[in-house]
Amino acid sequence: MCGIAGVLYKQAGNHDIGKTLIDMLDGCQHRGPDSTGFALYGEDKDLLQLRFIVPTEETARNLAQENIATLLARHGATIKSEQSVGCSYQIAVDFDGDLLAFTRDVEDHAKLVSVGHTLDIIKDDGTAHELDAIYHVGEVRGTHGIGHVRLATESAVRPEAAHPFWATGFEDIAIVHNGQITNYWKMRRRLERRKFAFHTDNDSELVAVYLADKLAQGETLDSVLETAIADLDGTFSFLVSTPTQIGYAKDNLAAKPMVLFETDDMIAIASEEVSLNRLFPGQSINSSEPAPGTFHTWSRSI
Amino acid sequence: MVTIDLSRTDITTANTRIRDCGRDRQDVEIINPDARHNIGVGLVEPITVRVRGSAGYFCGGLSDSAHYEIEHNAGWAVGDNIYSGSVVVGGNAGAIAGVAIRGAEIVVRGNMGSRAGQVMKAGTLCCGGNAAFMAGYMMYGGRIIVLGDAAAKVGQDMSAGEIFVGGKIESLGNDTMIVDMEPGERDDIMAFLERYKLNYKGDFTKIINAGKKLRYANQEPRARPQPFFVSSNSNNYWNPKVQEDIWIKGEVGRYRIRGYGASKPVPHLNDIAFVKDVTAVHYKPEDLKDINLKTTIGGRYGAKPLSLSMPVMIAPMSFGALSRSVKIALARASRLSGISENTGEGGMLDEARAEADQLIFQCLSGRLGWNVKDMQRADAIEIYISQGAKPGLGGQLMAKKVTPELAAIRGIPVGIDLRSPSRHPDVLGADDLVIKVQEFREATMHKVPLGIKMGAGRVNDDIKIAYKDGFDFVELDGLQGSTGAASTEVLENVGIPTLSAVQEAVDGLKEINAGDDMDLVMMGGIKDGVDVVKMLALGADCTSVGTSAIIAGGCIACMQCHVGTCPVGIATQDKVHEARYDIDLQSQNIHRYFESLRWQIASITKALGYDDVHRVNRDDLVALTPEAADITGLPLLSEHPALHKPELGLEVLNRKAG
Repeated sequence: MCGIAGVLYKQAGNHDIGKTLIDMLDGCQHRGPDSTGFALYGEDKDLLQLRFIVPTEETARNLAQENIATLLARHGATIKSEQSVGCSYQIAVDFDGDLLAFTRDVEDHAKLVSVGHTLDIIKDDGTAHELDAIYHVGEVRGTHGIGHVRLATESAVRPEAAHPFWATGFEDIAIVHNGQITNYWKMRRRLERRKFAFHTDNDSELVAVYLADKLAQGETLDSVLETAIADLDGTFSFLVSTPTQIGYAKDNLAAKPMVLFETDDMIAIASEEVSLNRLFPGQSINSSEPAPGTFHTWSRSI
Repeated sequence: MVTIDLSRTDITTANTRIRDCGRDRQDVEIINPDARHNIGVGLVEPITVRVRGSAGYFCGGLSDSAHYEIEHNAGWAVGDNIYSGSVVVGGNAGAIAGVAIRGAEIVVRGNMGSRAGQVMKAGTLCCGGNAAFMAGYMMYGGRIIVLGDAAAKVGQDMSAGEIFVGGKIESLGNDTMIVDMEPGERDDIMAFLERYKLNYKGDFTKIINAGKKLRYANQEPRARPQPFFVSSNSNNYWNPKVQEDIWIKGEVGRYRIRGYGASKPVPHLNDIAFVKDVTAVHYKPEDLKDINLKTTIGGRYGAKPLSLSMPVMIAPMSFGALSRSVKIALARASRLSGISENTGEGGMLDEARAEADQLIFQCLSGRLGWNVKDMQRADAIEIYISQGAKPGLGGQLMAKKVTPELAAIRGIPVGIDLRSPSRHPDVLGADDLVIKVQEFREATMHKVPLGIKMGAGRVNDDIKIAYKDGFDFVELDGLQGSTGAASTEVLENVGIPTLSAVQEAVDGLKEINAGDDMDLVMMGGIKDGVDVVKMLALGADCTSVGTSAIIAGGCIACMQCHVGTCPVGIATQDKVHEARYDIDLQSQNIHRYFESLRWQIASITKALGYDDVHRVNRDDLVALTPEAADITGLPLLSEHPALHKPELGLEVLNRKAG
């Protein structure tokens, strides 16, 4: 149960996506006071960027980070830079092996929350502004991003259960979700049989894994969103992002809110207009509410 | 004209200022609204509020006689439950525009979102553009005019009212039909459009209810009155009640409906005992005057809490399920005993308001009888999510009880089998509920405690949501909780026992370090003062009694509450039957029953060694059965350490163990 937000600037360049998403999420923080998260797309880096959730207590953190280093070495990945901040451990690695096998093994042993050359997922307990104070999200620049505020309903309040979720095994793909997937266990068991691992009981993780599985089979983002509406039961509005696109899908009952606003330069999507209006204070914007059972994607210039 | 800048003023301050302007009959202009929620909520004065921009959720909601002009867009539920007055939206409106309106005129010049006019009762909702799907969902009356196209399922499950669509209709909803317009109807619509300067020359398609699903095809026959105990504790598997149930299903071809709660035995407070011998004491009421039983409920966020003379409330029971006379008797008994009465679903009776010192006003999914004026004269507000008798389902009120008087207070057609919606139109998740809570706070100026009534299902999750969503108190109802009408299979099988519910609630709150600022009121099978003290020792702050109060006031427990011909005038709207109910006599009986609770609660508290009932705790309890021990985590009697310390002289324990 949550609030979601997403923004994509259509022209290439260095836009203040961090600050934009902080404003939008602060606008709907009432929908989710427990935790906040961002999936931010910056410049394309040569090295693979990984972010893990690690314990904040020093001894446990050191142990976790040592374990991560051992794991990576086993897969021939070399750590080129590292940074510990908040509950996370961010590293850049030199790796050119099989990403799916690599991440599956790593995920079994460590809380991997973000993988990509352009994507960085930052999430933790607390509000958008509290996260900004720790992770300096407001300084992040890039082309697009999605974000989330969470009110935990059926799974625990822990940083790794916060959104966004990255699409297991696929770099640079993330989702945020508002709603409740009611055929969660059925869908999860199907995916588990296909060797996908689940690390939380959060139904939004399922959406990410579901999308990842379909994308792995070579489907386009549009077709994946279309089948998601048919396959996922329950109430949902979710956003998905790739290195060049963002998109939404909305359930057939339109039970969860979502409004969007598009200009020649950008597209902004949020649970509530109050978030969109944060970007245009004092102005009236011509927002629209997508129809039930619909999806759409937008691409940035490259 | 007074200008309020929302970029510099918080919404509560703004709404207070708007109300002050209302009293001075001054119009208000809101600048920099930026789609903020709850603008102008709870206004009951005939002024005009102009919103210079877009409004968020619930703009103009819970108001009466005010006028709102929103220049641009409005979020979900614009004009929620408005009684009279008007709202004009210059741009688009989000989902459930005009939800639950009881009158008034709502005009959306652009498009409107899904489920527009859901559970509306009267008035006009007009849309200049297109309506998204399920316009008129579950509407009970009034009219919806759509000048553009209407998406799928127009009028889904409507009971009454009219929907006029100018453009294309994607599909009709369940139980609807297209009919010709009546003479004069078009002229009325054109005059309305003229008034709001909406230019339209085309034709209309008129959609109304087709009347095929308003009543059960086969009415529930009156069952032989078999007392409750026949069906509950019998060891005859195919007992007479079971046989009768099967015969009647063979006749009506559907599930059965009856009153009361689960009758099957489940682990309950009887399976728990006090660890000390409380049977040896014989306190007279005068010995107990220093024992504190006072209980305050709902002070978490600074509202004026309910102040109860003991940890007991009367459970929510509707005027509808119960007769007017019973509601008056209950209200009077609550005053005489210094506790609170609850309206239940279906509106507040003036007589009950006058009789009760402390009255909780309940808001249900169908918004039947719900209105701002009664909210503002209530002592607490309670949002009903579900009840122990039928978690996940809405109320049922069979046609016999839907009399003209009752239909008028609820705003529904006379003589339908009323099946209330199972979900709130504007609460589809914990996130929406946050904004609803804020709307209710604004409508009551943050002065009235706000509670949530929940049937026991996933209590461990739900109690955390209630806490995070900012409720002052929770009324939690176990499987044994009763009702005026529900399907027997649901009554018997859906939900978890009250004992499990209280334990999950206490554990859940502990898991999120909630402290004790949100009050927990437990109900579902509370029958005496012993149960009350046990419930408090398990962690509840208060209890609520429904069935036992009704029985004290003359109910014979025949479980035929749904039929509407209650022989003792309790569960009926039939004047002849109701005349059998003696308000003066029964209110005294109920009052004396409450006083017996008081005496027991105080006696046990003193016998347990306390001077305040709120100091009883888990250490005072022991489980008598492995099931109760498993559910509550209390020590099982046979394993209790005190048993092995005969010097403590715990005769009862020893006696039972022997």
